Amino acid sequence: MTDQLDEALHREYEAGFVSDIESRTFEPGLDEDVVRRISAMKDEPQWMLDWRLKAFALWKKMPEPDWAHIQYDKMDFQSISYYSAPKSMDDRPKSLDEVDPELLATYEKLGIPLIEQQQLAGIAVDVVFDSVSVVTTFREKLKEQGVIFCPISDAIREHPELVKKYLGSVVSQKDNFFAALNCAVFTDGSFVYIPKGTRCPMELSTYFRINELNTGQFERTLIIADEGSHVSYLEGCTAPQRDENQLHAAVVELICHDNAEIKYSTVQNWYPGDENGKGGIYNFVTKRGICHENAKISWTQVETGSAVTWKYPSCILKGDNSIGEFYSVALTRGAQQADTGTKMIHLGKNTRSTIISKGISAGKSNNSYRGLVHMGKGAKGARNFTQCDSLLIGDKCGAHTFPYVESRNPTAIVEHEATTSKVSDDQMFLCRQRGLDPEKAVSMIVNGFCKEVFKELPMEFAVEAGKLLEISLEGSVG
Amino acid sequence: MSSWLANTISEAEQVQDWLSPKRAESLAQLKNTPWPNRKTEAWRYTPINVIERARFSAANDTVVQATAIENLDSIDLVFIDGVFDAQASTIDFPEGLCISQLSEGGSCDWALDSFKKTKPNKHFFGLINDALATSGVLIDVAADAKIEKPIRIVQSFNPGSQSHTRILVRIGAGAKACVVEQLQGDKLCFNTSFAEYDIGESATLEHYRLAMQCQAAISIGGSHFSLAESAQLTSNLIGFGSQLSRVDMDIIHAGENATSKLNVIYLLDGRELFDLHSSFEHTVPHGTSDQNIRCIVADHANAIFNGRIHIHRDAQKILASMNNRNLLMSDDAQVNTKPELEIYADDVRCAHGVTIAEIDEEAMFYLQSRGVSRPDAQVMLSFGFINELVDQMPNIAIADWLRPQLRQRFANMEIR
Repeated sequence: MTDQLDEALHREYEAGFVSDIESRTFEPGLDEDVVRRISAMKDEPQWMLDWRLKAFALWKKMPEPDWAHIQYDKMDFQSISYYSAPKSMDDRPKSLDEVDPELLATYEKLGIPLIEQQQLAGIAVDVVFDSVSVVTTFREKLKEQGVIFCPISDAIREHPELVKKYLGSVVSQKDNFFAALNCAVFTDGSFVYIPKGTRCPMELSTYFRINELNTGQFERTLIIADEGSHVSYLEGCTAPQRDENQLHAAVVELICHDNAEIKYSTVQNWYPGDENGKGGIYNFVTKRGICHENAKISWTQVETGSAVTWKYPSCILKGDNSIGEFYSVALTRGAQQADTGTKMIHLGKNTRSTIISKGISAGKSNNSYRGLVHMGKGAKGARNFTQCDSLLIGDKCGAHTFPYVESRNPTAIVEHEATTSKVSDDQMFLCRQRGLDPEKAVSMIVNGFCKEVFKELPMEFAVEAGKLLEISLEGSVG
Repeated sequence: MSSWLANTISEAEQVQDWLSPKRAESLAQLKNTPWPNRKTEAWRYTPINVIERARFSAANDTVVQATAIENLDSIDLVFIDGVFDAQASTIDFPEGLCISQLSEGGSCDWALDSFKKTKPNKHFFGLINDALATSGVLIDVAADAKIEKPIRIVQSFNPGSQSHTRILVRIGAGAKACVVEQLQGDKLCFNTSFAEYDIGESATLEHYRLAMQCQAAISIGGSHFSLAESAQLTSNLIGFGSQLSRVDMDIIHAGENATSKLNVIYLLDGRELFDLHSSFEHTVPHGTSDQNIRCIVADHANAIFNGRIHIHRDAQKILASMNNRNLLMSDDAQVNTKPELEIYADDVRCAHGVTIAEIDEEAMFYLQSRGVSRPDAQVMLSFGFINELVDQMPNIAIADWLRPQLRQRFANMEIR
């Protein structure tokens, strides 16, 4: 089994190519001047700059957190470039036809069929390449419905009242070390506003890619679902294969007003580094949403990439009867480390939350679930169910669970279950007996293990996620 | 750190005895360990500023007495404020059992090795206990000896007292023993009491820690066990919360095929707090561990549990489970629980489960519809919730002695 496992660890990262695109990149380094320059590049109003500078001042005083179950060489924040944009972006394309063909080819390679999707009319896509948003499709079409879907830098200029009101309202400047850094230097990201009572006519989607060497990516996503609206949002990420570690510190804020629903799905496939842990993306992400009355936020994530993942998509269930959901599959192999989970903060009455987390560890990797379920004093009749299962493949990996459960209300019911197991010999025997080769069998068993999560993903993503898992597991069979 | 504690520690630095080398080691570690606060993970939910605020002295006039456990024929060792009370204690011991005072440890060849052997070094008050423990007891059970009578170590505390005791137990290969640690007192006092157990090959230990200090008492301590090959441990912890009660239970499986079981009951009322940290370290393959923690919290009480199962690399074929169930009885009570798994081996089966809820309203209705009053129904249901664990206690006398006390505690709890 070990031999085959090793073989699997040598599998190449399929998105690991570098696109030869001329780009304009800031010199590495971080000081107040860099923050000012980013703001100036983006043609931002004064209030935005002040907001950034405040965050930067806070960040300087914060210590880097070390509580997560991950080990990595501390980052030198002065050796990172905080802005990189493809040069040809200076005259921004109005439509896909004007986009640099090299860029389009890159996305083609990644399997993000921008043009195809235009025809399929299925999904509106915002693409963020290094630091800037490259193209947003279907912008006009969405506008007809009143839906705003654009790069956040555009939103700051065009919809300042919305951005001012909501930016930082869920993840504030002093939230945590990486969020504060993001607040100071974020370069782009997506902005979504769904007006009252509107059901967004198509799935919205953003693809992120880090291309340039020694750059960090700091994107910021802000989604506002006004009363009674509904939106489904997809996010995907890749990066080229490089020996150096690159930092990705994103912030995602969701605001879900009364009776609204946001479904946020992520397939994260950043470059995980080689089998010895050299290179790869450090993924330090803060994602949080707030639910008002009867609102619902659903996080679904499939995490297969990154050298280090530090990510806890959370829900603040403030309004009565609101619902939070978290479905996660995290696969680590090679020397990858993941410390991921969720926080469900129940404040309102009859709030409900479900957490299903599936961790799969292979190779020498370490996979941790870290979660918090908090039942506040006012969470009368609230309900939580948590299930976190770990699957170990090979004897050199680790699977860990660190759930925090806090209850302040006797009428709230909290249930937590966790199990750890390996792919059992019995299961393998049964499959092989029926003529399946070992590889197929493991793939099937793992797919079954993750089924509860995959069924939550939108169809296109579910197929992609299944495939991703299959490739990642290739050969890890005994 | 408060000045009285700093003074006590600087006094301890001067003491010269057989423990001096270990004491110096702990004092050095203590200097590098900051005073725990809310940001310290191990003390996240437990405010310890009460220790700083209060004032304690070493010894007092004796007013308290050790409580007897009815129908329990035991070998008694009584400590009042950490001072051995020879009169109240048993003096003759059965064959195969050697009991001596901690101060006599110099003449015990195994004592120095056992001190700090199983107790983890990261516990702040554990280090304080290392440095300050001048009294305590050494228990040595010879190989293959079967000690029928339970060995009961009773500690009582006077108001305003401060004491630090250490219990070292060695159980020889194939031997069998039962040890009861009983702590009592409801007045403001500060005591740390740590016990270390070295359980030999194929030996069996039945253990009870009756942490029944309540109300204003400040009590910090722990029982730490190391299990050799095929050793067996059954441990029962009963906790009544107090102003500050903290117990650490560490169980290390150092030999293959060892079996350990930990049952815990805690009942909290008023503004009491009970903080339990349990840790199971499976360092070798083949082993079974099981822990059951049941907790009832009423009024403004705060129940904290941090459980951990740690399976080391290559410690294959382990079966480990942890079950934590909590009943919340009032609007102001709180439960903070964190069941952790840390697993580095693939061929193991581990599971943990947590539930937090109030008493099932349907069950209450059922009993009330049959003429049982609401308070009685509540006592019946909550008692049933923990009686399952009391029933599992191998020593019937202790179980029988506990039941009325537990029932009394339920009866006093605030009814919602």
